[in-house]
Amino acid sequence: MAKMLDTYVNDLRESRLWRSVFRSGTGATNLHRALAVQQNIFLHLFSVKMRRAALNFSVTWYLGTLSLATFLILVATGIPLMLYYHPSVPQAYADMKDLQFVVSAGVFLRNLHRWSAHAMVLLVFAHMFKVFYRGAYRPPREFNWVIGVVLLIITLFLSYTGYLLPWDQLAYWAITVGSNIMSAVPALGKKIRFLMLGGNTVNANALLRFYVLHCVILPLAAILFIGIHFWRIRKDGGLYTGEAKSHE
Amino acid sequence: MSEPKKFEAGLDSDSRKSPVRVAFVTRRTSPHVKAQDDALVMTWPETLFRAAVAIEVLGIALVLLALLWDAPLEELADPMQTPNPAKAPWYFLGLQELLHYFPPVIAGVLIPTMVIVALIVIPYFNINVEAEGVWMRAKQRRLRIVGIVVGVLAALFVVFEVWAILIPTLAVAGFMFLAAASSADSPDRFRRWLVAKPLSFWIMSWFLIQASVLTIIGTFFRGAGWAWVWPWRA
Amino acid sequence: MDLRRKVAAAWAFLFGDSARAFGTLSLVLVACLAVVPAKDHFREWSRYQTRYLRLIRQRGDAATLQRRFQPGLQQTWLPELGVVDRCTTCHVAMKETSLADVSTQPFRPHPAIPHSLNEFGCVMCHRGQGAATTVEEAHSSTKAWEQPVLPARYFEASCGQCHQNSLTGTPQLNLGRKLLARYGCVSCHALRTAGAARMMPTNEPPPLTHVARKTTREWIYAWLKNPQAYSVSATMPDFKLSDADARDISAFLIDQSTPYQQPDASKSSSAAADAQEGASVYGESFCASCHAVQNAAGLMVGGDVGPELTRIGSKVKPEWLGTWLREPKLYAPHTAMPRYRFSEKQLGLLAGFLEAKTDSDLLANVHLDAATKEQIAHGKALVNERGCASCHELNGIKKPDNFAPDLSVAGSRSLAKIVFAPGVPHTLPDYLAAKIRQPSAFGSALKMPQYNLTPVQVDALVTGLLAQTERAEAIPAVLRVAGTPVLKYDPAGKAGKLMQDMQCFSCHAINGRGGDMAPDLTWEGSAVQRAWLLTFLKNPNTLRPALIRRMPRFNLTDAEAQTLTDYILTAYQTPAFDADSLDSASFTAEDRERGRQLFYSKYACQSCHIVDAQNDKGYVGPTLTEIGAKGTPAWTFHYLKNPQLLRPGNIEPNQSMSDADARALTAFLMAQKKAPAQEAAKK
Repeated sequence: MAKMLDTYVNDLRESRLWRSVFRSGTGATNLHRALAVQQNIFLHLFSVKMRRAALNFSVTWYLGTLSLATFLILVATGIPLMLYYHPSVPQAYADMKDLQFVVSAGVFLRNLHRWSAHAMVLLVFAHMFKVFYRGAYRPPREFNWVIGVVLLIITLFLSYTGYLLPWDQLAYWAITVGSNIMSAVPALGKKIRFLMLGGNTVNANALLRFYVLHCVILPLAAILFIGIHFWRIRKDGGLYTGEAKSHE
Repeated sequence: MSEPKKFEAGLDSDSRKSPVRVAFVTRRTSPHVKAQDDALVMTWPETLFRAAVAIEVLGIALVLLALLWDAPLEELADPMQTPNPAKAPWYFLGLQELLHYFPPVIAGVLIPTMVIVALIVIPYFNINVEAEGVWMRAKQRRLRIVGIVVGVLAALFVVFEVWAILIPTLAVAGFMFLAAASSADSPDRFRRWLVAKPLSFWIMSWFLIQASVLTIIGTFFRGAGWAWVWPWRA
Repeated sequence: MDLRRKVAAAWAFLFGDSARAFGTLSLVLVACLAVVPAKDHFREWSRYQTRYLRLIRQRGDAATLQRRFQPGLQQTWLPELGVVDRCTTCHVAMKETSLADVSTQPFRPHPAIPHSLNEFGCVMCHRGQGAATTVEEAHSSTKAWEQPVLPARYFEASCGQCHQNSLTGTPQLNLGRKLLARYGCVSCHALRTAGAARMMPTNEPPPLTHVARKTTREWIYAWLKNPQAYSVSATMPDFKLSDADARDISAFLIDQSTPYQQPDASKSSSAAADAQEGASVYGESFCASCHAVQNAAGLMVGGDVGPELTRIGSKVKPEWLGTWLREPKLYAPHTAMPRYRFSEKQLGLLAGFLEAKTDSDLLANVHLDAATKEQIAHGKALVNERGCASCHELNGIKKPDNFAPDLSVAGSRSLAKIVFAPGVPHTLPDYLAAKIRQPSAFGSALKMPQYNLTPVQVDALVTGLLAQTERAEAIPAVLRVAGTPVLKYDPAGKAGKLMQDMQCFSCHAINGRGGDMAPDLTWEGSAVQRAWLLTFLKNPNTLRPALIRRMPRFNLTDAEAQTLTDYILTAYQTPAFDADSLDSASFTAEDRERGRQLFYSKYACQSCHIVDAQNDKGYVGPTLTEIGAKGTPAWTFHYLKNPQLLRPGNIEPNQSMSDADARALTAFLMAQKKAPAQEAAKK
């Protein structure tokens, strides 16, 4: 039975159609496995081989992977949410009600997006501390650490801009409080806030700005930096697994 | 023991046994190529499947969360009606809590900027890269410096009456001095562990504890007018 | 052991290596995701729809009902009203009148109402969250929607959002609005209904600028301490003043009082103590039309336009009373009290009669020492603090603007902004009721005084306030039904001055201004004969013997009566017909006889009216024995044709008479008067 299934799968993977999509063929050899990574635009960010030690749970707690996972969930849920959302006042709030009461699985989409967003902030912070305590920021990975810090800031801004979009009391006042903190910057504070909100208070302009930032600019920036982040893992010598053992 | 060597010799110099690879590693350099005797595995399928499993576990957890708990939604935004307290998103509540203690320029601008800059420059300081236990060298001088810094900070927090920062600061300082008082050969494992910790560890831990404490206070212990409340009494 | 091995084997099978774990977890993830559409399918509203279908299956008209049933989400979307109502998703049978016997919600049909459900939706009247499709969110107060469904007992409030006029179907709302104006709520609180001017108080709090002339400090003290002790029907609330505060306020009020600006014209009339005759002056002046007196049984007898007079003698000073009865405007320029032209004798008798109405207990325990400067100053501060000047005119203190919170949108007030007294349920109606019932429960620092209201009045007031919503403000102007506008009609000239003097508008309405206690006089000039009016003004005798309230005698001089008659006959002519178009002389005896038969048989007018004082027993309408001397033929004719044309709201039935019938009846009625000789003499 299992063998038959295996044969079918292998036949499928050897078919012309399959091969036209996935350049690497089947096979249990290391060559094929290497090709599977090498010949895929996404996977080729990884090296073909990795240190076994890097796979130990205790080394990374998979925090980087999980941060990426939340990002993927957020993109996957965010796009359908965009279909139901108008960044205007007060329609934005009415759209929340429609999601809650009318749209099929609308509540679920919003819940998943919301909880994943919180999880992402938490995981990115955890990832940072884990990397620090393991000393993985040390050369040659120092620049990747900096990119990580940039990604942390992007994550915070993604979450912060998304916070306003429901246009309810919670959103409105959280953003108001947040933007007031920003206006404390000496001399430029008021100007920065004006630029960010498109006005002196949180209003319809701010909603539109936050919407564009949340749905276009910041995700694109995040994708770019995530790409560089992964690329640099490979270029900087793979996942850090600890100090090289000194041999005396 | 003779005086400490300035360098360590590399792996092997017997040319007949293995290819010669000599490296002179001083304490102040950090070679890009290190001895690589770890076992290797293929990324596909070993790594990618493991990653997929991790992602799925998280996915299941989040889906269940989304099925069981609804995201909060309050009334339509009303600029005329300020809720009390008006709270920022949770990850900014530490900052908001700081604003309660310090003037906005310090709490809202200076401190966050310092934190970000500090995070960025971490890997560019050799002292961090070497990660030598803070009390390993120049112990007396460093003790004096740390003592003065902690004293000044503590005095500052007392003046501003910021107990939520003062207490964690003193706790971290306490452990630092405990580390100073321990020797690297202490029979106690915890003490040996403490001794080996570099300065960056202490600062980062202080930051982590501080951020957590302030965020938790801001999230759970603050009510109307940013006054202290006990969450279980509300 | 065996079990453990089995578990281990199963674990190895499922999670043995990462590929297996991936496969297993993929299945778990898919299973979890499958819950999502399942949850969606079993939503609350679909359960109600299934139950509805089960309910109608057993009924005779199942096929029709089933055909009319629309499955899935339903909504009424009215963008101009801001209504997105999905209530009909569960309340599926709103329009199925055949389900009138069904008592289980949400399947009851809507009772018949004057409005179309499609045009107004549900939340316009019921409130609650129309967009919601769950029971909890739609009906209750939640984090996402504060306003719950309006409780049935305050339901009339919703009508008041559009209807600023008084509807016959909303007695509670009408009463509430009346009380808001009557109890002076709107003197301190601003209250604007959407698109209308600020509601004006209808009580007439006396000015206190000359209060020392009127009464004593002791009485003021007792009154401040407990207004109800002096007059059960007092609209003055209890400010819960301490003894010291009442003492200081009374000191200040006496201190700020000034003498009359005009020289006091009164020769102080000596009160004549003849109870019998005094009571008769009181009676024939119809004081009781406006003023009430508590009788021995504790019942109030009389009207509620003016203040209660049960203990008047313990309150006012005799010299003030004399002046007041002679010249009320001297003390209170805006008073509704008419100026009777009493003779000195009548004045003395009436004053004596009123002064005898004392209550020795009232001031028995009040002993005040002479006021000190500090007390007066403190009194002034208190008067400012308590907002006395919001209602009463005072020397040296301006009427404060917006003394109390604006109530224009009290019905949309956010609960978050309300501090509830302990024990008060956290809903807006409960809060309003509790606050009106006992303001002091919400904190001793509150300035709102304690009113003496019945539960019915409290509910009415709450209803009136709940009508003041933000939604009412946002309603398109075309939907608003304006209230009766307060017209500033002021007749000019000598006659106008006279009418003001006698306060005709307190009882009569003319051109939209005035009271509804007596007939509308807008077209009175077309209705009556000159001679009759002249006599009537000089000596009003009742037209309706069954009524207690009637026109008082104002003791007009001949010249005054003449002026007034001339004015009424010229100014108050209806454009609907020419008053001279029908002449009594044209009626023949035949006409009169036919009219007589119509009166007694075809239209049976005698069931309400009397023409033959011996035999007729109709007391509903006015007596018609003198109608021939009173009415003009043209008026009578047109009045018979359509009673409501000239007097809207008249209860006289419209009989759709033919011109011939009306003419004959007119002829008959015009003959109803005393001896023609008498009339000829008058002419």
